[in-house]
Amino acid sequence: MKAFQANLPKLEGTDTQVLGVSIDSPFANHAFALENGVTFPILGDMDGTAIKAYGLEKVYTIGGVPIRSARRATFLIDKEGKIVTTQVDAEAVDPTKIIDACQIPATKAGT
Amino acid sequence: MRNRIMKLLLLAALSLAAVPGGAQEPKKEPEPLALKPGDMAPDFTLLQYDGKGVTPVSLRDFRGKKNVVLAFFVFAFTGG
Repeated sequence: MKAFQANLPKLEGTDTQVLGVSIDSPFANHAFALENGVTFPILGDMDGTAIKAYGLEKVYTIGGVPIRSARRATFLIDKEGKIVTTQVDAEAVDPTKIIDACQIPATKAGT
Repeated sequence: MRNRIMKLLLLAALSLAAVPGGAQEPKKEPEPLALKPGDMAPDFTLLQYDGKGVTPVSLRDFRGKKNVVLAFFVFAFTGG
């Protein structure tokens, strides 16, 4: 989350919108965004619709309690709605690959 | 007696070492994603709260306008 925020100007300079998705409610996400200085939208997928559509369902056990959530994953999607590149699990914590991929198309950065 | 115990222990240690998937196994690659580069990204509509109101946001809103980095988090407070 913070890695994307730190690179937001770079991404927005290449016509890229960052969208976060978590299973938390939109209100919890907003509180998180305020506390952590996140300015891109974090969408609430409380019933897991998008998580299922992207094949990311996963059950975590925290303190013996099973919790349904998502695998950590990032998708770069082009203007035609096609997936350009993906990152998953531990690899997705460092978004450098995605950020670099955004720099490849003719950029409008700084104009 | 002592020898026999030692022998049993040695056998036990050897059989453990022979089990595939023991501690020496290299770190597993993450399970591949169902969606691959080149696939169409499934559309969705989810809610965003901006402090004033709740608005629906769909992937198709950005079609023809912007690339989208779609980042799924386990929970909002988790890393990355």
